[in-house]
Amino acid sequence: MRITFSRSGGVTGVRLRTTVNEDDLSAPHAAKLRRLVKAADCFRLPKQLAADPKQPDRFQYELTLEDGERRHTITIDEEAATPALLKLLEWLTDLARGGCQDGGRCQV
Amino acid sequence: MKRVHRRHSQSCSICCIVPPHILNALARSGTEAERVLALETLAHSARLRGQREILGAFAVNTPAGQKRRTVYTERNGTTLPGKLVRGEGDPKAKDISVNEAYDSSGVVYDFFQKVFARNSVDDRGLRLDSSVHYGRRFDNAFWNGSQMVYGDGDGVIFQRFTKCLDVIGHELTHGVTQYEAALNYQDQPGALNESMSDVFGILVKQWKLKQTAAKADWLIGAGLFAKGVSGMALRSMKAPGTAYHDPRLGKDPQPAHMKDYYAGHDDNGGVHINSGIPNRAFYLTADAIGGNAWEAPAKIWYTALCHNLRPSSKFLDAANATVMIAGNLYGAGSNQQKAVQNAWKTVGVLK
Repeated sequence: MRITFSRSGGVTGVRLRTTVNEDDLSAPHAAKLRRLVKAADCFRLPKQLAADPKQPDRFQYELTLEDGERRHTITIDEEAATPALLKLLEWLTDLARGGCQDGGRCQV
Repeated sequence: MKRVHRRHSQSCSICCIVPPHILNALARSGTEAERVLALETLAHSARLRGQREILGAFAVNTPAGQKRRTVYTERNGTTLPGKLVRGEGDPKAKDISVNEAYDSSGVVYDFFQKVFARNSVDDRGLRLDSSVHYGRRFDNAFWNGSQMVYGDGDGVIFQRFTKCLDVIGHELTHGVTQYEAALNYQDQPGALNESMSDVFGILVKQWKLKQTAAKADWLIGAGLFAKGVSGMALRSMKAPGTAYHDPRLGKDPQPAHMKDYYAGHDDNGGVHINSGIPNRAFYLTADAIGGNAWEAPAKIWYTALCHNLRPSSKFLDAANATVMIAGNLYGAGSNQQKAVQNAWKTVGVLK
């Protein structure tokens, strides 16, 4: 499985991007990735999770998931994300910020 | 005086567990505690839907000039508002984030009260609620429609988000905009919304520090970056695009002119990016007029926010409104009006 992750918005306006390849992860992290994706039911989420009204300074995310034949892109307003999806986004944010090294400090 | 406008209609007028007719009855004839609770519940729901005409029907008992601050701690959770740690008038807490949220929201309140005679975010004494320690390593602060929320930062790129007075002013101004022009948080109206938050955020800082436009740094979030980050601030209103350049962050993406307008989909159509253009217009106006930016320039901008701008207003609408207002306040052809006109021309909004 491969996930392309990007985050925009927030009061800082700083953008984060990363691509996570399951093949490049350690076994525990690869397992975690699958667990988080499954719990968030990513492949069945609608293409857009939009908040109405939008809350100022919240994050926007874009995820593209590729797993074998399956491919799905979701754009997400943070305040419209499910708790399970937020867990996945939080972990991907840690990876994008380089804070989730093998043997390291991933919390989710 | 104030415009009453309806936001786009929603099918549920007031959605809460206790039906409106019961709340209305309590508001009219309950005990004092019941009245306060019913009024606050109705007002809260109405605020969330921008139904100002409903708010107008209720007299709120907070006299002008009285702050009601409450600070909560999330203890790294995300269920708002969290655990109450400091109420209005309570002594300093041990927690610096709590004290910063408390003190700075007070300064923002005082600024709007003293400079514009505005009684809190909604001009009716709205409570100023802040939740700190939201999430884990959360590198953000936001206004959720009724309160402020602050993260601790990640400690690598960002420090705690209660640290900067102008960031707190930025968040509270989102509330003010919600009650006034209600600029849609998307594309140009969203960039104007963001710019208003930067404008009044920076003005609170300048007012508190007693800095003239010439002496001020015009930097949003200076001091927020952690040690080792190659950057001064989140944004520069004086020189958009120059606030930071760090290998981990990239370069400050803000344009200083319409020719570099960001037309992509990220960030709700670049609301934090394109805000550089109206930000710079405000800076140029203040620089040309001279003196304190919270006087004539702020008065022009505040008038536009409260009386002229609408949810779908674009940059050109803001330019036309501020030029017209400057003429009304200071005279056609006045230095103030010329300053506003030249500013919008310089950033490429007016020809």
